[in-house]
Amino acid sequence: MIVLFGFLLILGAILVVVVVASVLASVFAIGVAVAPVRKVPFRYNLRNIQVRWKTSLVAALAFTIVVCLLTNLLGFVKGMDRLTEGSGVPGNVLVLADGATDEAWSNLPTSSVLQLPRDLQLLIEKNKDGEFLATQEVYVIGTHVIPNAPAGGPKRRFVQMRGLDNVRIAAELHKIELESGEWFSSSGVREIARDHNGSTVKDTALEVVLGSGLAKTFGQDVGKAALEPGDVIEMGRRYWYITGVMKPNNSAFGSEIWTKDRTVQELFGRQNSYNSYVVRTKDEATAKQASKLLKEFRSERAMNAQSELEYYSNLTRTNQQFYIAFMVIAVVVAIGGVLGVMNTMFAAINQRKKDIGVLRILGYRRWQILASILFESLVIALVGGILGLILGYLITDGVSATSIVSSGQGGGKSIVFRAVVDATVLLTGLLFTFVMGAVGGLIPSLSAMRLKPLESLK
Amino acid sequence: MIDELLANPVTLLCVVISLAVVVAGLVFAVTSPRMLLLVIKNLRRNLGRTTITCLATMVLVAMVTMIWTVIYTLDMVTTEKSKDFKLVVTERWQIPSQMPPTHADYLNPESPKFLPELKGMIGPNDFMTWSFYGGTLDPTKFTRENLLFMFVMNPKHIRSMMDDLDTLDPALVKKLGDTRTGVLLGPERLAMINKKVGERIKVTSLNYKGINLELEIVGELPAGRYDQSAIMSDAYFNDELDKYARTTGQKHPLDNKRLNLIWLRVRDRETFSKVGEIVENSPYFADRPVKVETASSGIGTWLAPYADILWRVRWIVVPAIIVSMTLVVANAISISVRERMTEMAVLKVLGYRPGTILKLVLGESMLVGGLAGLGSAVLTYALVNFAMGGIKFPIAFFPAFFVPAWGIAWGFALGAGTSAVGSFLPAWSARSVKVSEVFSKVT
Repeated sequence: MIVLFGFLLILGAILVVVVVASVLASVFAIGVAVAPVRKVPFRYNLRNIQVRWKTSLVAALAFTIVVCLLTNLLGFVKGMDRLTEGSGVPGNVLVLADGATDEAWSNLPTSSVLQLPRDLQLLIEKNKDGEFLATQEVYVIGTHVIPNAPAGGPKRRFVQMRGLDNVRIAAELHKIELESGEWFSSSGVREIARDHNGSTVKDTALEVVLGSGLAKTFGQDVGKAALEPGDVIEMGRRYWYITGVMKPNNSAFGSEIWTKDRTVQELFGRQNSYNSYVVRTKDEATAKQASKLLKEFRSERAMNAQSELEYYSNLTRTNQQFYIAFMVIAVVVAIGGVLGVMNTMFAAINQRKKDIGVLRILGYRRWQILASILFESLVIALVGGILGLILGYLITDGVSATSIVSSGQGGGKSIVFRAVVDATVLLTGLLFTFVMGAVGGLIPSLSAMRLKPLESLK
Repeated sequence: MIDELLANPVTLLCVVISLAVVVAGLVFAVTSPRMLLLVIKNLRRNLGRTTITCLATMVLVAMVTMIWTVIYTLDMVTTEKSKDFKLVVTERWQIPSQMPPTHADYLNPESPKFLPELKGMIGPNDFMTWSFYGGTLDPTKFTRENLLFMFVMNPKHIRSMMDDLDTLDPALVKKLGDTRTGVLLGPERLAMINKKVGERIKVTSLNYKGINLELEIVGELPAGRYDQSAIMSDAYFNDELDKYARTTGQKHPLDNKRLNLIWLRVRDRETFSKVGEIVENSPYFADRPVKVETASSGIGTWLAPYADILWRVRWIVVPAIIVSMTLVVANAISISVRERMTEMAVLKVLGYRPGTILKLVLGESMLVGGLAGLGSAVLTYALVNFAMGGIKFPIAFFPAFFVPAWGIAWGFALGAGTSAVGSFLPAWSARSVKVSEVFSKVT
């Protein structure tokens, strides 16, 4: 193990040196290309690319694939990041049971802001009706038997359900708005008419509001783009009437079902218990102050309070895991691309030995030859890379996908998110292209630079 | 082994390709030894290019082998077996599944409450229960290094029911059974908490608030799948819950929810259906309804949220790497062919048939690709399994993934296959070279 570690360390160090040297040399090559100094004409490189268009194209295509792949993978991680970041509202404080690292494991008694000390109450914001912006939430992960489940695929899915004591306050706290329909009523139940063996029978359904992502997932089960208000789903031997669908707001709540707290408590054996309390304070600094006071406050059960932003930023562990895995894949695939361009450039130099000899006899210096060849390699890489970025953007941006975000300590949230290819992803792809072109071109350029004029003309 | 092979079409295809390439290679070597020598000489002529192509193939094969290891493992665990498969009984409508301990009595063949309808379908060695206990060794610091997650179970079910622990030293199991506060820890977990076998640890619970344990490390679980795991006896755990009730005067909030999973083993699908029907409809479970599913189906449900990402990895990432490999090979071989057009024309003048020239170029490429692929897969297998302790990519319940022996066939088939595809067009152009055209350009 130590030998392997040592080997990898040396390999890593060599790679870093090669990459740094390549990047510096490439910056130099670009500098030479744009500066008003004597240099090998750029037309000469273009002409060479044109003459060897097949191998240049194949090398550029390898870059296209690598960069497209990188853009695609990073776009998904970015989408997950955006969603987890977007789920926390600055100023919100999330309270879990002491020791619980995730909502799913937390267990808190019924409580009220009025039970808190006066100084703490003063930190909690009120809405325009004078009500405290505070909710008690019961959160369960239920199992849903997938209707018309495809053969060979999963028969059930996990569904996150949030029971709320006051949905309007909860919506204001979590900044959730409805896209269609209305919030569930205070009773949380309604009578529905449903088809039973050809005849219409009356039944009682529990009212729910669906997250936009989940509405789409459920809709696909029954051949619709998304479920809408008025639709009914069956889950856990009960009927659930959809009163509304949330507006997509890039948050984890878009993958949840919201309903009355009593409904969840009774159905899932959570009588008189909640998983979390959420309160709104003026700003993030106040949220941190309130978290500290809540932790110190001795109630019936010790509490673990934290700013909601902090909680959701801890849920990015899965995203980081994917990010690292995707970067490793991209770097390794890039090594393949680099070796491909190296082959192309070596062949190009081999074919142009005499040209290089003539250039040297015409008075071009070694560094000018190096800059010219390296610049040519960068052009091939950039053409392929930019094509990869465009392709990656087209096939990735806005694509909907599911995943899990978690802190890596159990629990986690199943989410529906949209992949995002933003400027950071595009810049990373471009940087990748540049480094690949630089590394792939450096060694062949050095070998071209070292050619002796007379020998190469033989 | 054969069942595993037949259950995975990609692996089967790779084995078939590998065998076909080896047989074709042997036939080529035996029937045309001079051609083989020519192939080797050609490869040695531009060692730089051969090395670069070889390296590119090795790097990309290693990546595909590692990615496919994860996909293959997940495929295998979610593929239904036809016989001797495990069932998992969990709470029907929610996760985490939290069932009362009495649920186990109705399904335990050794319990007097065992459902009579199940007699003959589940034997004493076909039953196991799990409770999950999570705690920290330092209540002031909730770091990953301090966290300990344990399977709480009856030690006598370890060898008969736990996957890959059937060969665990019986003395170790006996020691765990005899030591009330005993715990078995995975080697990585032991190293992480900086403890040795024989030492004691204090665990402050995270999920069973107030049930803090003092455990004695009685042994080490085998490396690999159980690197990070811990197993403790359910007797101690149950005693502590009883003690909590005695000392506080009330039952622990999770007392009646302490059972997380019940595992059963049945001989075939028909028995599974019968057991499922009996258990799911039994009035004994009415207070907390349960569902019965095969282990593969249960794991499939857990993996469902990852389906989109895994789909992308399987159908976009892996094919993209393969295309990239093919392009690298195609590039190298087309450069090589273009540089040797005159030589190809000379071979034709000497009487070599176009088919022979095609074989010559394909042979060069496949020899490099096949050997590089094979070498890379063998190296990946050894490094990942023996030096790295698996691919550490925690997903669902899998802390690490190990390259299967079939991975060597993947590497060889991939190297040889992409080389064959990538070099086909250049080889075809070499085959179709027109002698008059080539010599008219020679100065």
